[in-house]
Amino acid sequence: MRAMVIFAHPLDDSFSAELNRTVVTILRERRWDVDECNLYAEGFSPVLTAHERRIYHHEPDNIEPVRAYVDRLRSAEALVLVFPVWIFGFPAILKGFFDRVCMPGVAFRLEGGKLFPNLTQIRKLAAITTYGGSRWRAIGAGDPPRRLVTRSVRFYCQPDKLRYLALYDMNRAGEAQHQKFLRRVRREMTAF
Amino acid sequence: MTRAFVIYCHPDPESFTSAVLQTVIRELRAAAIETRIEDLYATGFAPVLHRQGVADYPYYPGNTEAVRRHVENIQWCDMLIFVYPTWWYSLPAMLKGWLDRTMVPGVAFHLPPSGGGSIQPGLSHITHLAVFTTCGASRIWTYIVGAPGKRILLRGLRAVCARRTRTAFAAHYKMDSSTPASRARHLKKVEHVLKTFLAGASPSKKEVGS
Repeated sequence: MRAMVIFAHPLDDSFSAELNRTVVTILRERRWDVDECNLYAEGFSPVLTAHERRIYHHEPDNIEPVRAYVDRLRSAEALVLVFPVWIFGFPAILKGFFDRVCMPGVAFRLEGGKLFPNLTQIRKLAAITTYGGSRWRAIGAGDPPRRLVTRSVRFYCQPDKLRYLALYDMNRAGEAQHQKFLRRVRREMTAF
Repeated sequence: MTRAFVIYCHPDPESFTSAVLQTVIRELRAAAIETRIEDLYATGFAPVLHRQGVADYPYYPGNTEAVRRHVENIQWCDMLIFVYPTWWYSLPAMLKGWLDRTMVPGVAFHLPPSGGGSIQPGLSHITHLAVFTTCGASRIWTYIVGAPGKRILLRGLRAVCARRTRTAFAAHYKMDSSTPASRARHLKKVEHVLKTFLAGASPSKKEVGS
């Protein structure tokens, strides 16, 4: 089984990076073929250009600017997103991955004005994330990143298994909470 | 006195979103509201928060140095207006990155001292918040997904603005099957929403600039 692990944090010594390493290590131990996609390290540009906007609906030309990423996504049977929540959403670099790569003909098909999922080879979907604020604060804003993953990305993949693992209140969390969350991520990824 | 800061985000100057922007500017002028505009694509804004930005993040004012003009405008205005297309149910990465880089501690909010307290709002001078967008999806599908983009701004960002911040919102749904008539209707709607929204705001005495 092939898994694409998309990671979106610039610092190697961040807690997010530790989560990413944990995910990759465990999946490899479980004999997954892991494609590590470190958006910062790969210098991914998240900005959809005017040209890309104009050809957005022109399949298959629209995939040319990001063909390598499209191929990686299409060959994945599991997708894991590891990111911090910044300002109630994905970091820009991860949001741009969806803007530029997950387009018509890749993530979905538009037929007769209707929307069909097109990443259905992805059978397992997980997001592993950290929030600066509390769970209540996130809920107060409607928890936009949770909705994006558990509703829209889920719809495009139609996975058998979905996990949204979040550590809230990072600003106040101590070492004990970090360790507890890491144990949870290890457990969930082992069962994944 | 009202001062509006308009954040505009679209790569194509001939887009419908650009027409929405023109309508917004016209209405602000008509109401004699002092206006500043940030065109993120035209100025080549870099939306990615990099290593240094993350390292400096908690420390105001050092954390604003790379985005000084933007932060000055945020602190200058009392009305924020966002004009953008909704991509993937949310803000374009360019606009999301603008929030990531400018809405830092000391500007948008104040972090609690380590060990206690909660995040305190930093934009209590902002009393008006408006969002004008377009969505490829239908209204129903947008709400099933949970309208993440709208929520980031009108709930998340609003929570750090003044307590009674007034908001306005207008979206053209099903943009891909829009017609000249539906687009014209939407521009009328933007005009109407803004007129009502601005009626509660006091005009500034100065000339309207950009």
